[in-house]
Amino acid sequence: MVEAAADPRSAAVIAAIEEIAPRWILHLPSSTLKTVVGHFLARDGQDGLRIVPIPREEEGIGILSGLALTGTPALMIIQDNGIGNLLTALNTFPQPAHLPLLVLVTRRGGLGEYNSLIHTFSEHSEAILDAAGVRWFGLDSKTPIAEWATTIVRAEQFARITHRPIFVLINLMNG
Amino acid sequence: MIRNQEESADAALMARPAALQIVDQLFADDPVILTLGGTIREMLAIAGRKPNHLYVLDAMGLPAAIGLGVALGIAENDRHESVLVIEGDGSTLMGFSALSTIGYLHPRKLILLILDNGVYLATGGQPTAARSTDFVGVARACGWANAVDVESTPAALREALQAARTTDGPTLLRMAITTATIPTDFFLEDPVLLAHDFSRWLRGAAE
Repeated sequence: MVEAAADPRSAAVIAAIEEIAPRWILHLPSSTLKTVVGHFLARDGQDGLRIVPIPREEEGIGILSGLALTGTPALMIIQDNGIGNLLTALNTFPQPAHLPLLVLVTRRGGLGEYNSLIHTFSEHSEAILDAAGVRWFGLDSKTPIAEWATTIVRAEQFARITHRPIFVLINLMNG
Repeated sequence: MIRNQEESADAALMARPAALQIVDQLFADDPVILTLGGTIREMLAIAGRKPNHLYVLDAMGLPAAIGLGVALGIAENDRHESVLVIEGDGSTLMGFSALSTIGYLHPRKLILLILDNGVYLATGGQPTAARSTDFVGVARACGWANAVDVESTPAALREALQAARTTDGPTLLRMAITTATIPTDFFLEDPVLLAHDFSRWLRGAAE
């Protein structure tokens, strides 16, 4: 159940993750993600769910890959400025090995941003993923909020159906 | 252990193929995750292609994290007592943060064997920072259940691996080896098949 205080976008992301019901959630630190991560941290250990802090995105790709090999549902939540850290790991194991992974990526650097530096990398996230051959879907202010949770759930199904990592780029800053 | 005078006497140490032969004998029915080209090709020359071996061909620094994921995924599966990751010193250093996460999550079935030759052998023998890195000390500081410097002899390696199999982990074993290799062929199989075969074996054995 999502707390009433959650903003609609974070609430939609939380609802989607709850429907996917992963056994493991890996996460990097993020101010924009604090509502989502906080929701699941409060439930760590309940109903078979574990949420784990990891220090590097590429390490998360390795852990997700190992879990995928065992058929264990899992996902990772990161910010887009961490995409650069994971590309080599992604394209030297799960991508060429056709492993289904789900990575939820919050956007930074656009409208609503308060950090003067972060856009230097983040504005190019889509182009970088495209160049790396990574399939992604986007959710932002142009997407009706009613479609957010459904899109994330379908992305998880799409990863399994198409046997590859799938990223969902999510703008929680109203951008 | 910081590389010492005795370990510098390279000829007295085990070579990697001999270590891999012992691994194959002791972990014939357990998941084994192998790091990169040189180690993989030598294991193939010794043991042939095996479904319980995951060949991580090019993802340097990733095998320990992959092994952690596998260990978490089979934690409640009674058929597999352990998951063994074979790493080199250079690849371990590239994915060093995983040692902290492993200590944090404490997967009891995970064993990490670092075969430490002190160099990036496959790329021409450039030195790694292993000579000044205490892998065992790092593992202990990160909260691993067990961390042991193994004497570089067949008997000591066999004893350490057998103990690790029957003791709750995570367990880190570090052993110095020579830079001696054996002639091997390139291994060019499709990564999709490699991952699929391992996953199918892992899940089939789990059912």
